[in-house]
Amino acid sequence: MFDFLTSFSPAFILIAAGIISAFMPSSRVRKVLLIGAPALALVLINIIFYGQDTNAYLGGKMSFAGIELTTMRIDILSIIWGYIFCLAGVLNGIFGLHEKCKITDTSALIYTGAGIGAVFAGDLITLFMFWELLALSSVFIVWRGGPKSYPAGMRYLAMHILSGVLLLAGLIIYGRATGSYTFNNIGIDAPGGKLMLLAFGIKAGFPLLHNWIQDAYPRSSVTGTVILSVFTTKLAIYALARGFAGTEILIYIGAIMTVFPVFFAVLENDLRKVLSYSLNNQLGFMVCGVGIGSQLALNGVAAHVVVDILFKGLLFMSMGAVLHRVGTAKASELGGLFRSMPYTAFFCLIGAAAISAVPFFGGFVSKSMIIAAVFEEHHWVVFLMLLFASAGVLEHSGIKVPYFAFFAHDSGKRVKEAPWNMLAAMGIAAFLCIYLAMPGPFGGLRHLYGLLPNEVAGEAAFHPYTGDHMVFQMQLIMAAMFAFTLLKRFGLYPPERRAQILDFDWVYRRLGLSLLQWGHAMWTRLGAVIIYAMGRIFGDISKRLYQVFSPAGALSQDAPSGISAVLIAGLLTAALFVVYFL
Amino acid sequence: MQVMFLLMTMFPEWILSHGAASLVVIPLILAVLTALNPNAKLAWATVLGVTVLCVFTSLGLLLQITAHGPIHYNMGGWKPPLGIGYYVDGLNAPILLLISLVAFLCTIYALPSVAAEVEPKKKGPFYAAFLISFAGLLGMVVTADAFNVFVFLEVSSISTYVLVGMGASRDRRALTSSFNYLIMGSIGATFFVIGIGFLYMQTGTLNMMDIARVLQDIGSQDRVVRLAFAFIVIGLGLKLAMFPLHMWLPGAYAYAPSFFTTFLAATATKAALYLLLRFTFTVFDPSWDFVATAIMILLAGLGILGMLAASLQAIFQNDLRRVLAYSSVAQVGYMLLGIGMATTLGLTAGYLHMLNHAIMKGALFIAAGAFWYRFGITQVTDMRGLGKTMPWTMAGFTVAGISLIGVPGTAGFVSKLTLVRAAAENGWWWAIGVIVVTSILAIIYIGRIIEQAYFQPVPELKGKPVARNEAPYTMLIPLWILALSTLVFGVNAEWTTSLAQSAAHVLDAGPNTNIPGAHEVMPVVTGGH
Amino acid sequence: MAKLDKPKLSAKEIKERAEAHPMAVPFLWLGKANVQRNFIFVPLFGMILFSILGYVYPLHHPAPWDVFGFSYAVIGFVSYSFVVLAAWPLFKLLSRPENYYGEDGDEGEQ
Repeated sequence: MFDFLTSFSPAFILIAAGIISAFMPSSRVRKVLLIGAPALALVLINIIFYGQDTNAYLGGKMSFAGIELTTMRIDILSIIWGYIFCLAGVLNGIFGLHEKCKITDTSALIYTGAGIGAVFAGDLITLFMFWELLALSSVFIVWRGGPKSYPAGMRYLAMHILSGVLLLAGLIIYGRATGSYTFNNIGIDAPGGKLMLLAFGIKAGFPLLHNWIQDAYPRSSVTGTVILSVFTTKLAIYALARGFAGTEILIYIGAIMTVFPVFFAVLENDLRKVLSYSLNNQLGFMVCGVGIGSQLALNGVAAHVVVDILFKGLLFMSMGAVLHRVGTAKASELGGLFRSMPYTAFFCLIGAAAISAVPFFGGFVSKSMIIAAVFEEHHWVVFLMLLFASAGVLEHSGIKVPYFAFFAHDSGKRVKEAPWNMLAAMGIAAFLCIYLAMPGPFGGLRHLYGLLPNEVAGEAAFHPYTGDHMVFQMQLIMAAMFAFTLLKRFGLYPPERRAQILDFDWVYRRLGLSLLQWGHAMWTRLGAVIIYAMGRIFGDISKRLYQVFSPAGALSQDAPSGISAVLIAGLLTAALFVVYFL
Repeated sequence: MQVMFLLMTMFPEWILSHGAASLVVIPLILAVLTALNPNAKLAWATVLGVTVLCVFTSLGLLLQITAHGPIHYNMGGWKPPLGIGYYVDGLNAPILLLISLVAFLCTIYALPSVAAEVEPKKKGPFYAAFLISFAGLLGMVVTADAFNVFVFLEVSSISTYVLVGMGASRDRRALTSSFNYLIMGSIGATFFVIGIGFLYMQTGTLNMMDIARVLQDIGSQDRVVRLAFAFIVIGLGLKLAMFPLHMWLPGAYAYAPSFFTTFLAATATKAALYLLLRFTFTVFDPSWDFVATAIMILLAGLGILGMLAASLQAIFQNDLRRVLAYSSVAQVGYMLLGIGMATTLGLTAGYLHMLNHAIMKGALFIAAGAFWYRFGITQVTDMRGLGKTMPWTMAGFTVAGISLIGVPGTAGFVSKLTLVRAAAENGWWWAIGVIVVTSILAIIYIGRIIEQAYFQPVPELKGKPVARNEAPYTMLIPLWILALSTLVFGVNAEWTTSLAQSAAHVLDAGPNTNIPGAHEVMPVVTGGH
Repeated sequence: MAKLDKPKLSAKEIKERAEAHPMAVPFLWLGKANVQRNFIFVPLFGMILFSILGYVYPLHHPAPWDVFGFSYAVIGFVSYSFVVLAAWPLFKLLSRPENYYGEDGDEGEQ
């Protein structure tokens, strides 16, 4: 019965469900699709991969413009992304159950499908197709944030289309030089490799290419931000892990990526923007792990992707719930909400603990794998930067988000607890955050380990739950918390203020725009000057042609026939020159 | 192939034997009758009948040349080089079909559009002028006689000036635009005929294949031949709106009646581009140094310049049709870039983009006309909320627009990808850079429109938002036929690609000196008695 | 118990209880000023406890600078304080009025 369904990439099921839901007037049926389609995809991935006995299943082959495409490659690396994307799709569906919005439902399904399709792409052309579909489908989710999100959405789209064309250019150079479009390890020195690295880098939020995340994500709707936070960036991590594992420069890029968002996250007032910086910071850990490229590091990256999707999703969901009920997610306007939204506060605290890598919570296992891999390579500076960033994570996501939203001084706002479906989605995510980090026969850690791309049994296995590891991690956490309380007590903690914080996007949002406006003004003037100068130079000819060809007033701005006649003559001269002398 | 043979049996014998001539003769004769016809509905029906007939005829010709090779047709039975010969091969058959199909779709659309834009008294002459213009374009493409090309060029151009001018009842600026076009078009035609004159002086013949044969004997060193080449390229360059000879185009597109703008945008520059290909590759010899240099420097160079400059200009336009018109100039640049590479893949890309662009621009201009028809919209800023007030029309516009940008899954992507591949094959990396940059510019000028339509609130009239007012079906159907074909040809580009490839093979073969009689093996279909 | 508790509640507390979510009632003490003020001792004692434990469970793979049993506590405290204190000058440098880009603030609402 499943023969037909397993003959093509599960991505197409989600995309088909998206197209159906675009024409589906009933919100209930759309919601069934929204939750059912990713769940079905999850089952299908399982059936396809475990229904055969190779490590890499290649299927869904088709031919496009004479190139053989593999639209479905499920192997030990891609399957973990496939699973978590499907799971995130289901959670997002549950979280958005209350919302009756056809555009969000449709684009969420297509967006999820594109993410899964890109992860399972066996060749670069398929990757490119889904890469673009991902950008196009997600921009509608950004635009659900209302009129304020349009310019951000346009900038988002421009960045992603740019990433797409860079990828296209890179893959064409690469394909021509190597004769193969298969998507395997590319390496930075391969022809076109740098272009593709840049394309992946835009989507992964490399430093200076990162602004689209903080620009677009916080402006989407309550459910939109949750959906957006999952796929695009994690797909980029997959693409990097697949194509550029062990590329040394990524270690340093990743380390910088973990550090710089920390400073911005302290300054930001909008808590969803704080979480966007935090997202960037977590991606830094993953990029760093990809750069190390050892077996342990890649395991850590895969595990961190799974856990990060869960806890970052959970944090975005809790802030979404706050925004949904209170109408704002600005720290300066919130406070004391645990009185009205105790469940949300509880789930948020679990998410905060998971991202801060408290033992027995999600991040503890995955992040320490990456840090241990850095340690093994003796990159001391990078190691120290990651430790610094871990303390920073505690500042923005571990303490700032839950503290200012749910505790701090009472804002006096009394609202209803989040709707049941939001609580259910948060509850499942919170449960998984803890379950997947639990060791022992009843915990989920063995499941998480079972999924990792490289062998984890035997001597080389990574054991997070050693006494020294837990103790020193707790030292870091407790010291940071103590620093927070101390600084708060002495009034050294900067107050939350409403402001626009400048980041690198100032370069194109302000400087670039001003330059463009200036350029346009100059261009207009230059055009006028040139026409004037040409009128002088070709004075006689153009005046005569003008008098012959143009009735009085006919030469309005649309009708520069005198000038064009001169141009024709000039071009004929040029043509004659080419024909005779070149 | 099986389907093709089956289709061929559907066509009556005369289409296959006299099709080439009837493509020109039927519209011309019926143009006279239409001009005398006082009833506008009847005139419209005549035009519809003629275009349907031409679609069938050109489809029959296309099937026949794919099955049996090129067709030589001798007008009145006089053999070239004495008589006028018509010639159909893989290079011009798709263009004949394209022109006829677009004319047919435009005619469906003309019913409401012309009724709204042209004075009632002038409708009969309007349709007659359209038929003449249509016949002229087909004649330009189908004839194998160089002077005959000039005649048809003028036939189509003069009727075009008239038709553009008829837009005056909608916007008086149509008159100056028409006049401007007249001046420039005449200069272009004059250049072209001067070039033909020089060629005749040196070769003593007007039949294209005969010219090509004699030119091979004269060789590439002859100075007059070079002069003729320069004049012909510039003359045709003006007709096909090669940058910077495009200045007639924005005005003409913006102020002509919507129906005619659509037809003009989708076909006129294509016919001129065909002539440029015909002359540079099969009459002159692309392996000659001066031809090769001119192709690379003039066509590719100006193509690149045009892509950049016209795309930038499109961004700063406020009038919707001017945006589309400047975009057309930029797209011509893409085609010239492909042609300028002079490789098989490059020519395929250029030709494919020509076919795809005709489809996309046709759809965009139909939609633009529908916006005017319902709400009188000409400015981009007035398009607020059109996604709600004219959802189907705007959706069709959007589909064609994203194809113009080159989003994967649309026809525009297929031709741009082919172009990028061709440039990569040639090692022209800078050209790929320019393609990327201009695609981004296209996102800006199309995105600006889509943003207005979908993300700005519906304008209010007397305190209430404007009600939904969809375009009539006679507009929606041709729009959606074109919009869906951009999607179909974006997913399955086999047919269009094979057409472009066979055209590229014709061009690759170099000068065509096979006049009938020289080789008896060629299948010769002789008309007349 | 209930009988004994009730009289202790001030009017303000009764109002607070009535307004709060039923699940939050047992946790309302978290909002009290003295609880929030004295919370500082929890991380302080935690830090001291784990610093001592650091000598019991020394690091298996120490980095060159891990010479004390409480090295991570130092790193955590210094890093955290640096980040927060750096925010003062950075805010002066980078903050602009909310409508700086003319896009009406940065927050997307429903």
